[in-house]
Amino acid sequence: MANVLIVDDSSTMRKIISRSLRQAGLVLDDIYEAGDGIEGLNVLGEKTVGLILSDINMPNMDGLEFIKQVRASGKTMPIVMITTEGGEDVLKEAMTNGASDSIKKPFTPEQLNEKLGGML
Amino acid sequence: MTLNLAVSESVHMQEEDLAGYVIHATKEVFNTMVMLDLEDSYPLREPVTTFHCSVTGMVGLAGTYTGILSIHCPRSFALRITSNMLGMEVDEVGEDVNDALGEIANMLGGYVKQILSKGGLDINLSIPTVISGEEYTVNSMSDSNCVIIPFTNEGERFLVGLKLRKEM
Repeated sequence: MANVLIVDDSSTMRKIISRSLRQAGLVLDDIYEAGDGIEGLNVLGEKTVGLILSDINMPNMDGLEFIKQVRASGKTMPIVMITTEGGEDVLKEAMTNGASDSIKKPFTPEQLNEKLGGML
Repeated sequence: MTLNLAVSESVHMQEEDLAGYVIHATKEVFNTMVMLDLEDSYPLREPVTTFHCSVTGMVGLAGTYTGILSIHCPRSFALRITSNMLGMEVDEVGEDVNDALGEIANMLGGYVKQILSKGGLDINLSIPTVISGEEYTVNSMSDSNCVIIPFTNEGERFLVGLKLRKEM
């Protein structure tokens, strides 16, 4: 069992990811949401999180800076980037910054299960 | 209305191939994220610029290619898309519908970027823009041509359009 943090500036996308996580049959405790990297860091300051799913393009603090700051704070939980097709260049930078893996949109609950099952 | 020769030649594919990629991408996005199966029709011969009671989601491409990927839905279908994506009933056009249509445009734009530029290094996608209203006109990139593909699901029809221009 683990708490999951979803960081995405689209509230709709956060709802979709949250619903997909539940449909994927993953064993989760709470799902927390944040609208950008700054909000994400605030959540991490207050809650124990075992897995982070993060968008890359966000206002205020994007996903790349968010990962950097999470890793700089010494946290080691898996961080999985949610990306669209064609974002391989940014994804490489995310992996360099400390991301653990990535999932491309569109995704199915089954794909989420396959990718995240071993991380929880 | 077709893609211009310079675009077709530079991506080493015929217009039908590019249209095929857009059709494949649209069907995959809708099948996976919206849980709807789509039927596609032949690309339109003329552009559509005026929309009634509709919602339009768009993303821009900038770099070695300049372009716009757009999805134009009747309001009722936009509500159905959003309801399916969220797994809850949505009955008015607002933030959820805007986010949903913007996200679909973003995913489709990502596919197009991938087709045009393996690795995506030389093309950037804009943040999605969504507009809606009783009646509106969309005019963009008048010096480029486009592919517009109609899709249907349970009698409701919507359009996905791609305008592209090869930059020097």
